[in-house]
Amino acid sequence: MTERWFPDEMPDPAVNAETIGWWQEAAAHRLVVQRCGDCRRTRHPPGPICPACRSTVAQWAEVPGTGVVFTYTVVRQAFIGCLADRIPYVVVAVELDGAGGARMVSNLVDIDPADVSIGMPVAVVWEDMGPELAIPRFRPAPTAETAEAGTKGAQR
Amino acid sequence: MRPVTAGRRPCVVGVGETRYARWGGIPETSEYQLALSAIVGAVADAGLSMDDVDGLASFAEDRNEATFAAADLGLAELRYATLSWLPGGGGACAAVANAAMAVETGAAEVVVVYRSLCQGQFHRFGQGPGGRPPAGPARTPGLRKARTLLEAHVGFTMPFGMFSPPIAYAMVVQRHMHRFGTTEHQMGQVAVTTRAHAARNPRAVMGTRPMTMDDYLASRFVSEPFRLFDCCLETDGACAVVVTTSERALDLARTPIEIVGHAQGTPRGFGHGQYSNVSMPDDDYTSAGARTVADRLWASAGLGPADIDVAEIYDHFTGLVLLSLEDFGFCGRGEGGPLAASGALAWPDGALPTNTHGGSLSEAYIHGLNHVVEGVRQLRGESTCQVDGAETVLVTSAAGVPTSALVLGRP
Repeated sequence: MTERWFPDEMPDPAVNAETIGWWQEAAAHRLVVQRCGDCRRTRHPPGPICPACRSTVAQWAEVPGTGVVFTYTVVRQAFIGCLADRIPYVVVAVELDGAGGARMVSNLVDIDPADVSIGMPVAVVWEDMGPELAIPRFRPAPTAETAEAGTKGAQR
Repeated sequence: MRPVTAGRRPCVVGVGETRYARWGGIPETSEYQLALSAIVGAVADAGLSMDDVDGLASFAEDRNEATFAAADLGLAELRYATLSWLPGGGGACAAVANAAMAVETGAAEVVVVYRSLCQGQFHRFGQGPGGRPPAGPARTPGLRKARTLLEAHVGFTMPFGMFSPPIAYAMVVQRHMHRFGTTEHQMGQVAVTTRAHAARNPRAVMGTRPMTMDDYLASRFVSEPFRLFDCCLETDGACAVVVTTSERALDLARTPIEIVGHAQGTPRGFGHGQYSNVSMPDDDYTSAGARTVADRLWASAGLGPADIDVAEIYDHFTGLVLLSLEDFGFCGRGEGGPLAASGALAWPDGALPTNTHGGSLSEAYIHGLNHVVEGVRQLRGESTCQVDGAETVLVTSAAGVPTSALVLGRP
């Protein structure tokens, strides 16, 4: 059992022909963006055609899963009942490394909301919601200092 | 707008409103019947007969279809019916513009633009698809089939708890604060000023409840930096405006209000707006998305921001009002907050009295068609916060989604 941050009752992702592949990659813990098969530009969310060169050929390009917080909000109202005991939670827009400037909406977990700031480095962590659904969330990226503390912890 | 023929310059000649009430406050009348009542009221205000109406115009996600309305209102003939694609409240001014273009070209003679919105009878507007999972036995989370393009787009936001517009636009304003130093007090000034305007307006749902800056700062956070009082009301009600030609208006009782200019649309790559697109350029992300609309609006009207006497700015969120002020050129990029803090938006002494009816923050949330109604009222000299000698009004529709805007003027 992997770590869980959000309840089963969260809305399931609605998918269409152009987006289902992204979610299938996610189920295998691969964070991807769509890359045009012709001009090689990347985009997120995925779509049926390249807005730059109008090619309908595209591939999934795996990205490292790191990035920085472009912006965020601390949500303090439970818009659905199952989140009543989970607020506050943090919604972020992450500018993904290696994605040509593409950003994605996600959550920042394992952090005090007061400590979130624009520009902070983050790294993906997967929440397995079910056998066919894994959601990429983010946590603060380990710095040299915290990585060392983690190593010491493992030794104890 | 340069007229196609001088006699066919488009004018607003009538407005109609039902009463406005808080969410669920009008349970006895259907949203659709309210729409029809607002249309009937606007046509009567114009001094026209329902037999004169040959066009109906509305904007996205309207449950109240014009074809049914034409039949139920007993129109002699429906010659023109359009629904603007611009989503949410983005299409209110576009619907008026579409009506204007219809009468200008002769496609129709009298077009009524309408909006009825009773969230109490349906659901919270903007609550995304899938936002309320059905109660029931435990289920295994997985994928589900999107029924619309928008559903597939918000498939990339809903699973992260971005359920509702305040969450998405809080992120926009957070970034604006980071880049430009915009503050909560500056947003609060929008909320407090707008409430003060509503206090003079008997139609305003919040009119009897004053608000101080301390009240604003004490209101609970919804999604930081947005507090409850940064967010618009959720209400029941309907309104409508009648558009015809300057030639036809000569015969009518009311002073015609000219549609001097209009524009609608988005910049490249803006898509459905920041609600589903966080990959757009930073300068667009931290805007209302109306910069290109503003450029075309001013060109269309042959006027600029310095020529505007009153502004009715779409106010679903206080922070987005600041961004709209920037987009439409009332101040520089990042200066919307200081402009609001200067008192510029306040009636009667501010340089640009804004949302003189109380806006969506304090009058009612009719997707900004009530902002058009207030613009007309200002130019008729009938506002409860009347700007002396007002000759030009800017009306904007939404922000952060594809937008539209009008300049109204006295002929």
